[in-house]
Amino acid sequence: MILLVAVAGGLLSGIGWARWRGIPYQPPALQYLWLVFVAFLPQFAILYLPNIRQQVPDAWAAVLLTASQFLLLGFAWLNRKLPGMKILLLGAALNFTVMAANGGFMPISPQTASRLVPQEVLQDIPPGERFGTKDILLRPEETRFEWLADRFLPPVWSPYQVAFSLGDVFIALGVFFLLAHQNHSGPFL
Amino acid sequence: MKTTFNRLVLSLTTVNRQHIQLAFIILSLTMLVLGVGAPEDGGGNILRK
Repeated sequence: MILLVAVAGGLLSGIGWARWRGIPYQPPALQYLWLVFVAFLPQFAILYLPNIRQQVPDAWAAVLLTASQFLLLGFAWLNRKLPGMKILLLGAALNFTVMAANGGFMPISPQTASRLVPQEVLQDIPPGERFGTKDILLRPEETRFEWLADRFLPPVWSPYQVAFSLGDVFIALGVFFLLAHQNHSGPFL
Repeated sequence: MKTTFNRLVLSLTTVNRQHIQLAFIILSLTMLVLGVGAPEDGGGNILRK
């Protein structure tokens, strides 16, 4: 959700900025677009399609998730000269590091998770079990690179609660800047 | 008249192509950030099995 807001915000900012300057909107000139589709497909299948998700063992899901993220890192690297992509690449690398070091999933502590789901739901999930889409419930002392895990939360009074990592922050900033920045070639809108 | 029509068709074709390209770029970036990002909001996937 927060990443989709960053995409929408960057796009609207870019279009608004272009309109204000009286020039056509120019989206980033991404190369190797096919690589994103190829890389995201297995992740989409094992995370977002319930039938496949239930059939794929966690070990295989971890392998596919890691491979998918590695390919997406490659795509970001191939497009690293675009404004904002280096920030996004840094965020992707941080997330990849912590996930690869913790069995292929993003670690989240029981304390952080308790802000997202009711306690009675959480107590049925033992440490080491998958939690949510890409996360795994791990105690901080059992987590490698704990400072890169899903450990940040919005204020308690916020109606929308989400746990996010340092890498997620860089990814959101990077994609926002990528879409908002206007100095590419080729007019669009 | 025919020239005007041809220009209009060409213009619409260009706009459509450009919009499709833009949609592909937005879709690609969305897949990229969803693929490399890992925020967790406790949505409907907590109890997965």
